[in-house]
Amino acid sequence: MRSIYGGRRGTSALVLTAAVSLVLAGCGSGSDNAGGGSGNAPAGDDGKLVGEQEFMNAPCPEPAVKPTQKEFTYWSMWTKDEPQGRVLQKAFKCFEEKAGVKVNVQWFGRKFLTQNVAPALNTDTVPDLIDQDISQVKAAVVDVGGTQAVDDVLAMKIGEGDKTVKDVIPSFLYDIPQSKDKDGKLFSVPYEVLSNGWWYDKNRQKDFVEPKTTDELFAALDKAKAAGGAIAQDGDIDFYNAYFLTQIAEKYVGAGGIQKAVDDRTGNLWRSEPGFLKAAQYVERLAKGKYFIDGWDASKFPQVQQRWADGEAAFLFVGSWGPSETREYLGKQGGGATIDYGSFQFPKPEDATHDTIEFLPIGWSVTKKAKNAEAAKAFIAYFTNKDLARGIPAVADNLHPRAELPVPDDLKQLNTALTDSKKEKVIFMDSIDSLYEGTYVKNVFYPLNNDLLKGKITAQQFIDQIGPKTAEFWTNRG
Amino acid sequence: MTTSVVTPPASGHQPGAGGRGTPAAHVARRKKLFWPFVAPTLVLYGLFLVVPTLATVVLSFSNWRGAGDTPQFTGFTQYAQMFSDDGFQNAFVNTLIYITLGGVGTFVLAFLFTMVLRDMRGNKMVRAILFFPNIVAPVALGMFFGVVYRYQPNRQGLANYLLESVGLSAVKFLEADSVTWVVLGSIIWASAGFYITILMAAVDRIPPYLYEDASIAGASPWQKFRNITLPLTWDVVGIAGVLWTINAIKIFELVFVMAGSGTYAPPIHTWTLGIFVFDRSFGGTPAYGAACACAVVMIVLVSVFVVALRRLLRRDAIQF
Repeated sequence: MRSIYGGRRGTSALVLTAAVSLVLAGCGSGSDNAGGGSGNAPAGDDGKLVGEQEFMNAPCPEPAVKPTQKEFTYWSMWTKDEPQGRVLQKAFKCFEEKAGVKVNVQWFGRKFLTQNVAPALNTDTVPDLIDQDISQVKAAVVDVGGTQAVDDVLAMKIGEGDKTVKDVIPSFLYDIPQSKDKDGKLFSVPYEVLSNGWWYDKNRQKDFVEPKTTDELFAALDKAKAAGGAIAQDGDIDFYNAYFLTQIAEKYVGAGGIQKAVDDRTGNLWRSEPGFLKAAQYVERLAKGKYFIDGWDASKFPQVQQRWADGEAAFLFVGSWGPSETREYLGKQGGGATIDYGSFQFPKPEDATHDTIEFLPIGWSVTKKAKNAEAAKAFIAYFTNKDLARGIPAVADNLHPRAELPVPDDLKQLNTALTDSKKEKVIFMDSIDSLYEGTYVKNVFYPLNNDLLKGKITAQQFIDQIGPKTAEFWTNRG
Repeated sequence: MTTSVVTPPASGHQPGAGGRGTPAAHVARRKKLFWPFVAPTLVLYGLFLVVPTLATVVLSFSNWRGAGDTPQFTGFTQYAQMFSDDGFQNAFVNTLIYITLGGVGTFVLAFLFTMVLRDMRGNKMVRAILFFPNIVAPVALGMFFGVVYRYQPNRQGLANYLLESVGLSAVKFLEADSVTWVVLGSIIWASAGFYITILMAAVDRIPPYLYEDASIAGASPWQKFRNITLPLTWDVVGIAGVLWTINAIKIFELVFVMAGSGTYAPPIHTWTLGIFVFDRSFGGTPAYGAACACAVVMIVLVSVFVVALRRLLRRDAIQF
């Protein structure tokens, strides 16, 4: 399940303990260390992926910003024992040791924004620092004015010579409308980034050539279907089912294009923009081609994903958390089965004009009522230091915004695609799932998309129905 | 219960009996203790039930998001938007299905067991076994059913394994279109034991000679049920019906876990009113005003059903 966006279930979040760390430790790569800077890190400068113990035992970097406040409160989207929790504990220890600031942590888990933070905003007992993906933070906290601007953090030094946060975090991850509040101020500074793609096992498909065109993709799917199974898809998660249509539609209409159609109160844009029909036709082709393995639409997550890990299907389309979740499953199964993860993006249709890739930043936000905002912001800058930031790929098996940090082999292809400057970056699902309290996708988009993906309606019927349903949505909303 | 103990008895008090023409000293003491005992109950009840209920009603007329914002009163806007919302409409219909069809199914099953269990040896043990699903958390039951109804060629769940072992085709129980009915069946299965226990307790009060007499007269099990069991347990059936209605209207966990992935809200066509409230409160964007409006509808719905049920099942009590 999408590890952060919407909240990965607790069980799947408790990934990558000692066994995984050992695997990662063995995943040393010779990748070039494009960044680095002049930090005083004793380890990791050689560009190799460090193991968890090495990361935990490494000396703490010196903070460039030492706040006058001596403590702050952090409410976490992670649990204490999951990898990101362990990475952060190390960072908090370092911050206390080097800056004299104690961090009071509450480890809540994924649903804490609506279940803990939002209710707390009605009181004066609020955390200073929170985190989550920008779509969720915006929907639950920012839109009600619960956060303060963090633009000033961008100019803070990170303890690597003169480097600032702005110098090391690519602007495409934060200089976007989805990361700004209604006054245009930045509300989130990213420290992890999600993306998605097709996953396959290089061990099982040794002669597989990653498709560059949609025809090649369907040829690969045909071949895989003939060999036993093409696509594994957990059909009980609506937004997993939405990946296919939104991925392809974005290639026709670009970033913000789907949002425009949602915002069109007449609903006509769904029909007048031909890209939507073309995208829907690809999804219809997927459905009618019966590429999804039998039972995908009558399963409980993560059964179908696990069937992919067991080799019942050739391809799985999920986020960057796919390897960690399936590896965890195989580890629990025993038997020593492993996957050599390969990934590729949805090929751009020939008549499409946007070479897109989806991403979603997870970042730090400071609450409006924060009593220790200075200390919280100083920590944000401190955690951007590469000696702490590298824990995200090395220990948590996820991507950090600092693309130069060594990443596990599983994520190398995805990291390359995400950092390809030629690719247009689009927030997951063009962030339509966070609009209008999520009611648009739940009431209009998901039901029709599910019908399309299951072959119950054609692409044309999808377009014919979603326009009027959109108009009806707006009429009801007033 | 408290009041019945501490209030002066309405009857049975005989002036002069030990009081020499004035109320007995212990009665006066009881009177003094009345408010000290009742007041905390009233305060707690008012504070934690009446006030929140009233607040829910008031906030249902606002657009309060419940996240540090100030409620702005918008009249019936929340209700208007809610009634036109597909999610709410589905939730309302599904909740009615669970109350009515679920109720019929549960009680038919309960009555059938009642008829059989009465004459059965070791019925107390069977009753206890039938009650077992009630001691399991609904979330755990939902996950259990997820395994039972698993559809995976060559690795089927228990239900499909049994179907295939008798030569039938496996069924996609958890497919979105049919999952509501599967959940309904599961709820009936899980609930029946509770109502069997209540009804059997009432049946146990019925003097055995009535059944013996009926047997001598050649009555069939159905006739015994129709003419003895049902009339003599009618008051208990009424209470059980009210309990079912209250429980059914707040059905949440089993649907949430079985119809969806368990982490996210399931598709809206499977929603119940409880899921609608949860979604508006904790589903991603807090919208407490909308959640309150739905909660008010639930209060009204349960009130209507309970009153209607009480009227429908009203009979003169039969003394025996």
